[in-house]
Amino acid sequence: MIPFSPEVFFALFEEYNLAIWPAQLVAYGLGLLALALVFKPSVSGSAIIGAILAVFWLWNGVVYHWMFFAPINFAAPVFAALFVLEALLLIWRFVIRRDLMFEFRRDFAGSAGVTLMIFALTVYPLLGLASGHGWPQSASFGVAPSPTVIFSFGAFILARPHMPVFALVVPFIWVLIGGSAIWLIGIPEDVLLPAAGLVTLLLFVRRKRHLT
Amino acid sequence: MQGIASTGALITTGQLLPDIAQAQPGTFQARAIPSTGERIPIVGMGSWITFNVGPSQKLRDARVKVLQTFFDLGGAMVDSSPMYGSSEDVIGYCLKQIDNDRALFSATKVWTVSEAMGKRQMKRSADLWGLEKFDLMQIHNLLDWETHLRTLTAWKEQGRVRHLGITTSHGRRHGDLMKVMQSQPLDFVQFTYNIGDREAEKRLLPFARDKGIAVIINRPFRRGDLFSRYARHPLPEWAADIGCENWAQFFLKFVISHPAVTCAIPATSRVDHMVENMGALKGPLPDARMRRRMVQYVESL
Repeated sequence: MIPFSPEVFFALFEEYNLAIWPAQLVAYGLGLLALALVFKPSVSGSAIIGAILAVFWLWNGVVYHWMFFAPINFAAPVFAALFVLEALLLIWRFVIRRDLMFEFRRDFAGSAGVTLMIFALTVYPLLGLASGHGWPQSASFGVAPSPTVIFSFGAFILARPHMPVFALVVPFIWVLIGGSAIWLIGIPEDVLLPAAGLVTLLLFVRRKRHLT
Repeated sequence: MQGIASTGALITTGQLLPDIAQAQPGTFQARAIPSTGERIPIVGMGSWITFNVGPSQKLRDARVKVLQTFFDLGGAMVDSSPMYGSSEDVIGYCLKQIDNDRALFSATKVWTVSEAMGKRQMKRSADLWGLEKFDLMQIHNLLDWETHLRTLTAWKEQGRVRHLGITTSHGRRHGDLMKVMQSQPLDFVQFTYNIGDREAEKRLLPFARDKGIAVIINRPFRRGDLFSRYARHPLPEWAADIGCENWAQFFLKFVISHPAVTCAIPATSRVDHMVENMGALKGPLPDARMRRRMVQYVESL
């Protein structure tokens, strides 16, 4: 039950993108930095990656959901709260406790994680462009939920020893919500969202089995 | 087809209902609100999704034209809700831009819990519309209805709202709605009824008619599903006999020809669709036999 039409959704996205410019460029820069840091694993580097992800989630909660989409969507305040909660969880585990590390390894999981991060930065916006809603109507990396969640899934796959289950709850909730937009609003690039969720789930289960 | 509607009957029971409204060509179909006798045009306008356009100036101005067309063609009831995002804000914007809204019958809803939150929300709705009071305030989807009904009953006595009502858009809540209709003094009820979803014919519509409760019908096009299913087929030739030039009028005339229906509220964001919808206000309405024929036709497609 989406209370707005695709026409309104893309019109609001256009207003949003123009209003927050050049935050998109900053987000891309932070995303590239996070991607680079997974290849040089360290506690401080992981804290930086965790902080970058937290900033993305916080931005999406406060600016995207609360400030821009709440006026047209009665559910947006709930989404805002969930995204802020995820940001707090990331800060707690990666910045404060620092008991998890992002680490690229030359195995299937490592390749899958990095591939999802690169997809979020490149393939997602290109699919949007191909489906007829490129800039400024596009869901930009880091400042829109779906590419942020795909990027986060990629990073979560690289987390060692493994991401805690509770930190995966909100991203998977968004897989269900954002995934419905593929058909309900007409955002074909969001097909990457359930695909990324499925890969993350399978690798998470495999990792848990391996560790136990 | 002169007099076609004068021998109408409930489609499910065959019970004779001799006073189905009939309009001569060029006049508007209107029905009386049983509790007050006030007559309102039988086609109104909903605003779910269609008027929730947010801050976009371009889309807001496009909705001004839709609302202007609605009033130009004889419309009166505009229905909204705080649940519909920016719809109330946009309706208020539109009303400020146009000068042909004297017929406006303003209808919105309260959709929250607690007395204090309800009062605050209803005042905010009035501010958004730019009105001092609403013609109709409804309790949305029965949410905390006992609390809001107390408030609205008091407000009605004080003249702060003209009519009160209760709504549901869910078939599974029809039983709950029926209980409220049986036990409470209501001016209006609102629920879903269309040619593909006729459950309301069994109990809600006959009971509303017997108890003198005005009925607003939402989703007369079944959220567009009726067009998806049937619009690729041709209208039957006999549709012209009941003044239907398109499928929108066919679906709407089926709904508004039920004698218990006071007003149907299709929603649209397009001027051409508004023109089609409001065309249902004119010409004869189908009688019971024709209504059965309409059902048989769509079920044969």
